[in-house]
Amino acid sequence: MSFDFLKDPQLFRYDALSKFVGVFVALFFVLVVIYSIGYMRGRKGLLRYYLCTLATFVASLGAVFANNMLVFLCFWGFLGLLLYLLIAFGRNERTPATAKKAFIIIGGSDALMLLGIVILWQLNGPGEPMSILSLRMDALSQPLNGSLAVLGYLCLAAGALAKAGAMPFHTWVPDTAEDAPIPVTAYLPASLDKLLGIYFLGRLSLEVFRMTTGMNTVLMALGSFTIIAAVMMALIQHDMRRLLGYHAVSQVGYMILGIGTGNPIGIAGGLFHMLNNAIYKSCLFLSAGAVSKRAGTNDLAKLGGFARVMPVTFSTFLISSLAISGVPPFNGFASKWLVYQGVIETGQSGGDLWVVWLVAAMFGSALTLASFMKLTHSIFLGQPSTDVPAEQMLKRRETGFSMWLPTVVLAFLSVVFGVFALQVPLRLFVFPSIGGDVVAPGIWSSGLASLLLVIGIVVGFLIYLAGSLRKSRLVEPFVGGEDLSKMPEMRVSGVDFYETVQGTGVLKGIYRAALKKLFDIYDVLAGFLGWIGQGLAALHNGILPRYLSWCLVGMVVLFFVLIR
Amino acid sequence: MMPTSPVIPLFVAVPLAGAFAIALLGKKTRIIPNGMALIVTGGLIAFSIIAMRMFSLFGVHTYKLGAWPAPFGIVMVLDGLTAFMLFTVSLIAFLVILFSISYMERYSGRWQFYTLFLLMVAGMNGVIVTGDMFNLFVFLEVAAVASYALVAFGTEKHELEAAFKYAVMGSVGSLFVLLAIVWLYSYTSTLNMADMALALQAAGSTRVALVTGVLLLTGFALKAAIVPFHAWLPDAHPSAPAPISAMLSGVLIKALGVYAICRVFYSVLGVSPQLSMLLMVLGVVSMSVGVLLALRQWDLKRLLAYSSISQIGYIMLGIGIGTPLGFMAALFHLFNHSVFKSLLFLGSGAVEYATGTRDLREMGGLGKRMKLTSAAMLSGSMSVAGIPPFAGFWSKLLIIVAAVQAGYYWFAIIAVVASMLTLSYVMRIMRYGFLGELREKWAGVREVPFMMKLSLGLLALICILGGLLLLPGAREFFLTQAARTFSVGTQLASRILGGV
Repeated sequence: MSFDFLKDPQLFRYDALSKFVGVFVALFFVLVVIYSIGYMRGRKGLLRYYLCTLATFVASLGAVFANNMLVFLCFWGFLGLLLYLLIAFGRNERTPATAKKAFIIIGGSDALMLLGIVILWQLNGPGEPMSILSLRMDALSQPLNGSLAVLGYLCLAAGALAKAGAMPFHTWVPDTAEDAPIPVTAYLPASLDKLLGIYFLGRLSLEVFRMTTGMNTVLMALGSFTIIAAVMMALIQHDMRRLLGYHAVSQVGYMILGIGTGNPIGIAGGLFHMLNNAIYKSCLFLSAGAVSKRAGTNDLAKLGGFARVMPVTFSTFLISSLAISGVPPFNGFASKWLVYQGVIETGQSGGDLWVVWLVAAMFGSALTLASFMKLTHSIFLGQPSTDVPAEQMLKRRETGFSMWLPTVVLAFLSVVFGVFALQVPLRLFVFPSIGGDVVAPGIWSSGLASLLLVIGIVVGFLIYLAGSLRKSRLVEPFVGGEDLSKMPEMRVSGVDFYETVQGTGVLKGIYRAALKKLFDIYDVLAGFLGWIGQGLAALHNGILPRYLSWCLVGMVVLFFVLIR
Repeated sequence: MMPTSPVIPLFVAVPLAGAFAIALLGKKTRIIPNGMALIVTGGLIAFSIIAMRMFSLFGVHTYKLGAWPAPFGIVMVLDGLTAFMLFTVSLIAFLVILFSISYMERYSGRWQFYTLFLLMVAGMNGVIVTGDMFNLFVFLEVAAVASYALVAFGTEKHELEAAFKYAVMGSVGSLFVLLAIVWLYSYTSTLNMADMALALQAAGSTRVALVTGVLLLTGFALKAAIVPFHAWLPDAHPSAPAPISAMLSGVLIKALGVYAICRVFYSVLGVSPQLSMLLMVLGVVSMSVGVLLALRQWDLKRLLAYSSISQIGYIMLGIGIGTPLGFMAALFHLFNHSVFKSLLFLGSGAVEYATGTRDLREMGGLGKRMKLTSAAMLSGSMSVAGIPPFAGFWSKLLIIVAAVQAGYYWFAIIAVVASMLTLSYVMRIMRYGFLGELREKWAGVREVPFMMKLSLGLLALICILGGLLLLPGAREFFLTQAARTFSVGTQLASRILGGV
């Protein structure tokens, strides 16, 4: 069998950007498979599950390396189907509805991309009809002039945004996080779909189209809005997975913001954040999956105190949550820092909007930290919930090797890509993808800070050791003579940390509308179309004379149109 | 000299003979109706491939019934479009028969079923190959009357009601067609399509051609179930036994409706810009109304019936665009729709066979028990929704390309939006029918028998691989030469008569 077609530049190409994404697609595939061995053990249809996972891997590589637009779209559309099949392995009651919704949003955006591709082809001197089959990405450089080009860009970008889970196409992500098996969530919405969506947005904005300032502003506005709105939703969630799902949406905002800046620093930041986010977000999901497998629930109110029983999972979760909150020296900080600089850079060409984007991005980061305080506290710290049966408590212990290994690898990468941001990921992957080194006014060199942190930790540990070497007396904490473990009302679960946010002023109304799904593009459209359909259905009452009269009216109209 | 070919009349004669043979011999045994139907439809596939090959080698063929010369006798014509349609009809008919062998076990009077089935096939093939206006009407009625009877085959209350509505509206359509043919005959003094086309050309643009055009369009639009002439279809197609639903939605509305419109307007009456625009508008209205109504159906087969209305809209849009690419796209979509819609109807039949219900609200989790049916339904659904790389994606792509290329951006946008909604109604089938936990009452459900699985599997395979028909060699053989018929248009007449 010959694989020459893989080398055909008409179909595939291997440049720095696609190699960069391809490498990490492979990494996540391997880690998720290792994790699945532990997590999915004992379920039915495992052969199908692993086949779908493998097919997803292959199709992702195909989409990443495709040069031909239609070849790309084929792989891309097939990924939507695979996502649907993989979500369907979930066992929640709402899983079928979620699988349907995710696929309709993803697959529906494929239809828009199809229109976008056709428009792009039309704008580039169509010629022979079948030449659409050989439309190459690297041969295109379409200026965004005229409404048709803008429509084409928006259609294609909608596909990229839907896959990455940006607003307003995000609503499938939290649902999927809640209802799909955890490895699937970590594999697709958290890592592969982010990589692919932002990869394609990057391709579009850097290569296929020549961006204008106006379109960049639209992207930045969308990014900022996504950051803030999604993180506000995350604050009030009670379900561990759903909360993480909203963060998966919120983080996309940074990537779009970075790419929207249109300058090399911001774009490098956006692509770097895409990578970092995939790393820490899948680590978070996988760690949370380990907890929910042991605890048998995702409800934050029923979790708590897991730091003691699952130390490895706790540390990986903590590292990733610091990384997602943009705390130095972890990788999330390094890429956010680049994005901020990119945003500031846009201010040099005039306009004051950059302040808005910058504030949104930083404020979003702070809210992320706040929401992870809640999450870490509710899962790992605090007291175990009291309404958990005793035999359930006994089962709580650290997970097996195959489930903690991937999380440890990912947490390790989070640290390395943060501490050695410039040396490893930026030099190796990100800068080559955008063609050459980027000189940023302040690429954060984390050496000194990390060193101080490490010294601090070591010194602290030494003091701790010194302290415990001396003979000391261990006593229960004194709380006014009460025994805490006998007083369930004294337990602070962390679920309601930010309940006040939900009840204040304008936010109250917005939250209420959001919980009623008034902002869910899927539900809103479904309601609207249902309303039209109801009208049409009322016309079809099954009475023959009415149907015959339609025919007569139709014929009269035909007469009128054809014979005037 | 126009080549003649003895293969052409076989497309009508063989199924007709098969139908009578089954009626005479097949009452007692089971093997004769089944075997005869399989052999006949299988043979038709072989003939149609021969016909396509002959056309690509030698061009248009005719056959003169009783060796009477063309304007006086009845001719049958084989051109690219004919060969393409014959292949589509034969392929679907064969696979549907394969499915029926097990499915129809539950019904009594199987010999009547197969007799009517083959009569319907004979009628459709007759409509496709005939070169004579009045013969067109006769074959149209043969196929239509057989289908009225088949819709009522279950003889339950709602089946009879649906068949009655279908018969009334179908007859109204046929009457319009007959009126138009009579009018044309009195004006041109001929019934031969080629001769009639020449006479109309000689007379220049006339009111007669316009008025009869409206009558014919109304009649055929009724058969093709184009909105607003569609109202019979959502009752008739779900009421028939599943194999018949598959035939009706898969090929009958196309042979009697879409093909007849193409043949009469493109080869005889001629096409004006207004007519093209009208066809496009009808197409767009059909696809939107059909999809909106399909979105809210709970009856699986009724949902699919509305989906047929919507998909016919795509085909009409492609034909109306009027560029060679548009014709090719329309024909490709016609073929794809035949395949995936008969697959979906047969799949719904399999579900009904296993569970006894068509109501999506009562199903759920059937994918766990009916793995192949569920997989086949999924690939059919993906094809109808136009998810790459399934076959339906490619034909939709071409339709949208044709619309954009011809500058009809709004139609392209509507087609795209309708395609997104199509995805949501097919996902409704998958979500309520096959996903989720199995209900307790379906614990005893088993996968359907082998023959049904075979038929579903073959159709699913075509849905998955159909895109390969766009590869250069296959495209020329299968689609381009059929689409060229439209460009030849009324010139065909002089070619046919010139060779006499």
